[in-house]
Amino acid sequence: MRASSSNSTPNPNPTPVGAAAVEAPPRRRKRKREYAHLTRFARTKARLYAALPYVLLAIVSLPIVVMYSWLLMNSFSKKTLFGFIPQELTLNNWRFLWEPLRIGTSVHPSIWTVTGNTLLFAGGVTVLIVLISTLAGFALSRFDFRGRQSIMQLTILLHAFPGVTLMIAIFFVLLYLMKFTGLPFLNSLWGVVLVKAALEIPWSAWIIKGFFDAIPWEVEWSAYVDGCNRFQAWYKVILPQIRPGIAAIAIFSFLAGWGEFIFLYTFIFSEAFYTLSLYLNSIIGEFQVVEYGVVAAVALFYMIPVIVFFIFTQKGLMQVTVGGLKGGR
Amino acid sequence: MRAAVEQRARAYRAPLNTPRTRLLRRFPTHWLFLLPMLLLVVVFFFVPVILNLILAFTDMTLSLRWEFVGLKNYVKFLQDPLIPQIAKNTLVYVSATLSINVIFGLFLALLTTYFVKRENVGLAFRSLWLLPRMTPPVVYALLWIWMTDPTEYGLLNMMLQAFGLPPLSWRTEYPMATIILVNGMVGASFGMIIFSAAIKSIPVDYIRAAKVDGASDLGVVRWVILPLLKWPLMFVTTWQTLSLLASYEYILLVTQGGPNHRSEVWSLYAYYKAFASGQYGYGAAIAMVLVAVAVIIALLMLRIFGFRRLMELMR
Amino acid sequence: MASIRLEHLTKRFGNVVAVDDLNLEIADGEFVALLGPSGCGKTTTLLMIAGIYEPTEGKIYFDDVCVNDVAPKDRYVGLVFQSYALYPHMSVFDNIAFPLRLNKTPRAEIERRVREVAKLAQIENLLDRRPAQLSGGQQQRVALCRALVKEPEVLLLDEPLSNLDARLRIETRAEIKRLQKELGITTILVTHDQIEALSMADRVAVMHQGVLQQYTTPEELYNRPANLFVASFIGDPPMNLFEVRYRRGGELELPGGRALRLPEPLARRLEARRLEEGATLTLGLRPEDVELSETETPEGFPAEVYLAETLGGDLLVHFRLGDGGDGPRLRALTDPERRVTMGQRLWLVPDPNKLHLFGPDGRSLLAEAEEEAPVPHPQRA
Ligand SMILES: Nc1ncnc2c1ncn2[C@@H]1O[C@H](COP(=O)(O)OP(=O)(O)OP(=O)(O)O)[C@@H](O)[C@H]1O
Ligand SMILES: [Mg+2]
Repeated sequence: MRASSSNSTPNPNPTPVGAAAVEAPPRRRKRKREYAHLTRFARTKARLYAALPYVLLAIVSLPIVVMYSWLLMNSFSKKTLFGFIPQELTLNNWRFLWEPLRIGTSVHPSIWTVTGNTLLFAGGVTVLIVLISTLAGFALSRFDFRGRQSIMQLTILLHAFPGVTLMIAIFFVLLYLMKFTGLPFLNSLWGVVLVKAALEIPWSAWIIKGFFDAIPWEVEWSAYVDGCNRFQAWYKVILPQIRPGIAAIAIFSFLAGWGEFIFLYTFIFSEAFYTLSLYLNSIIGEFQVVEYGVVAAVALFYMIPVIVFFIFTQKGLMQVTVGGLKGGR
Repeated sequence: MRAAVEQRARAYRAPLNTPRTRLLRRFPTHWLFLLPMLLLVVVFFFVPVILNLILAFTDMTLSLRWEFVGLKNYVKFLQDPLIPQIAKNTLVYVSATLSINVIFGLFLALLTTYFVKRENVGLAFRSLWLLPRMTPPVVYALLWIWMTDPTEYGLLNMMLQAFGLPPLSWRTEYPMATIILVNGMVGASFGMIIFSAAIKSIPVDYIRAAKVDGASDLGVVRWVILPLLKWPLMFVTTWQTLSLLASYEYILLVTQGGPNHRSEVWSLYAYYKAFASGQYGYGAAIAMVLVAVAVIIALLMLRIFGFRRLMELMR
Repeated sequence: MASIRLEHLTKRFGNVVAVDDLNLEIADGEFVALLGPSGCGKTTTLLMIAGIYEPTEGKIYFDDVCVNDVAPKDRYVGLVFQSYALYPHMSVFDNIAFPLRLNKTPRAEIERRVREVAKLAQIENLLDRRPAQLSGGQQQRVALCRALVKEPEVLLLDEPLSNLDARLRIETRAEIKRLQKELGITTILVTHDQIEALSMADRVAVMHQGVLQQYTTPEELYNRPANLFVASFIGDPPMNLFEVRYRRGGELELPGGRALRLPEPLARRLEARRLEEGATLTLGLRPEDVELSETETPEGFPAEVYLAETLGGDLLVHFRLGDGGDGPRLRALTDPERRVTMGQRLWLVPDPNKLHLFGPDGRSLLAEAEEEAPVPHPQRA
């Protein structure tokens, strides 16, 4: 439709824009483009075209919707049609909430002990990460010292470095820590808390540093000028401004601890210290196919904090996730 | 203004400049603040790397006796009949999943940030794709175990049934495809988030100019958006290569590497050798390859991107 | 080349009305400026014409064809952004060639046309550089070349000069105007700089808060502002505006009680409007239309100097009107030779033929009754 444009012959002697060209004849082009034919079906085409991305997105996202609705539907029903349309509603699948699950001869520990363990583990990871990375982030942002640059580079590299490759060696580190100190580093929640926190800290220190960086020095100085001492300046001026950062790493650390599987699976041997991930994993193994209902109910129970955070921190999530996505996950 | 405040602040602090406070000030507070982090990092990153190196030269087994055997583990490794298959699996797994993560992640980012004009719809879809990542791995694995269930209770088999076909044992028939999809569905959101942020930071005038200049939406993507995504694309590719080489959690949960080692990758093989067969020394030697590759890629990233750009990309 | 017509064009963002019922006709080959303060909807209008924004209501016609649904790429418009929007990853040549590549122009012709337009804008020696390596003025020329190279039917310029320094701005102003006349392209220039609009455009559309205030030639705009907004917006230093009372028989009572006798035709025109005795009107007086006199004259008004500023070729004197210097403020331009001191008493003599008068609704009272178009959209195309 624009083929004509290639035939156009602009003035062979284009006049320079110098002062001499004042009297140059206008270089009007003869050709004139038609707009009329462009408008045919334009509206319909535009509408169809605008709808396409929505349709595409809906189609590719369908599996996710189906998978998660299966979890929900299956946990509340005896039978399902196509796996996720509930047929007979029941709460029987949720019986693990009030009685220990029995499979064959084995009795699983009470869900509440397990949940307590999980909370302890996730909480421990969170506290450790928040404390340590706030200290480190503050030092990296507010102090100028030799080696600062190297430590920051190191932090980035460690964030990229997949800690799971070190699983075997970490096992021996815990083993020898246990030998030398007499404290239970293996087969204890606290040992794994340390490991998990260590692996997450480079990232969270990094995030917190960013929040400290965003506070202009002038703000801190004005606090001093206005009569704060160091502690008050920290408490009244700086802390409120990094609170969103702390909230973000707290949420991420908690969810990371809550979902942790592989390190717990490897370093915890006794059922007394089972967390929800180990518990769910063991019943997936034992129930095998038939009783998906019970497994789905436990899984959904396990998902509750994730769902809560997912719903309530939507916007903030999007802003801080970028760096928080780690490893093969 | 700034200078004035600064000066006043300095004047205010002047009385603190006594011998005692000077001593206090010379005390390296920053190292005190950094100590806990450095301690953890040393104990759980540095020591393990070195320990792994040493373990690889020992015949460490469940007996936990240190017996140095020189290069025996590496000789064994070269003769291990399974290694070629594991290597091939790893290659296929990493390259296929990486392609999904980068290409599909880009696809999602473009759709949700550029093509879909309603911002909250785009945001909703991006959140949806983040869900698998936020889900505890065991639950996410369960969803796939159900989906690929060999009986008529599995989702895929229900669909087959609807077409009158017999159920299929998906995990044993197509173990590789399964683990690639399992990881791809989670991994795509990494690229999606990074690319979305990058697309959003492109000045809207570039896109408008291109449209006025005669570009269709696809033209805008091809000529304006993609060239400006060069760094994020390289970043996601290297980062995810590193992550995927080391990842075995989902594989362990969904296929256990089976059947018959058909979906077993390098890192999982090392894990099994150590914790299933108790051959810690041999496992460490196998893992050593990964540790070396990981260190090299990580250093390479610093070289390619440079510290500053890496910081920007990780925001 | 195309003529453009906007009919009831409206754009709302949520509940912000960016452009409100805009009607405008632009003739083939005409150079029109959209002038108004920041945030009045100029860019929004331009982007609707380019097809980037979809109008909430109303229609856009190119050559009497409604192009509302035509994609930007099919509208044959050239657009220069305020930020220039040069693609940072392409060389200057590739930037300019971009529109031609997109419509699959043959290689040789791309080469020829890019060089030709680059020559026109005197940037031939910059073609291999990246935009980041150019000065603001050079970037601006590249952006202009990119818009011109595809020989658009309509050229849209969004504050193309605002990022240039004062000197370069004056040069580029002349250049753009010459290019436009030479190529004869229908052009719309968006600006908040009245000098730019008045000096470059054939007609100027003044907008305020999304509403068109007046659309006419620069001379008309300056000499016969249609309402108070235009009167106060156009002119630098701005027009003096103060309230006066209407007296039957062609007199205006100024603050302080003195009366101003209106010239005969003006008095008749006001008479025809049947204004009430004592109605409050606004009198507009440009600073350059006021004479200063050291001695009392019958047509003069006493005032007291309270500030004098030298503006290069002129002296701007600020006064307070009234015997005791307690009336409204007023500015007058005079020649810098003149000695004025603070507190000095002078007599101001307005040029009776250059008075502007606005009714209580803010509209000009000087327009002839029959050409008294509704103020928001005086369509005199
Ligand atoms: N995308 C948008 N979303 C919401 N409001 C907008 C948007 N674009 C413009 N507006 C609003 O519409 C009004 C007009 O904006 P516009 O950009 O057209 O002004 P302008 O006349 O070009 O101003 P300037 O001289 O500052 O460029 C403003 O109040 C602005 O806040
Ligand atoms: Mg604007």
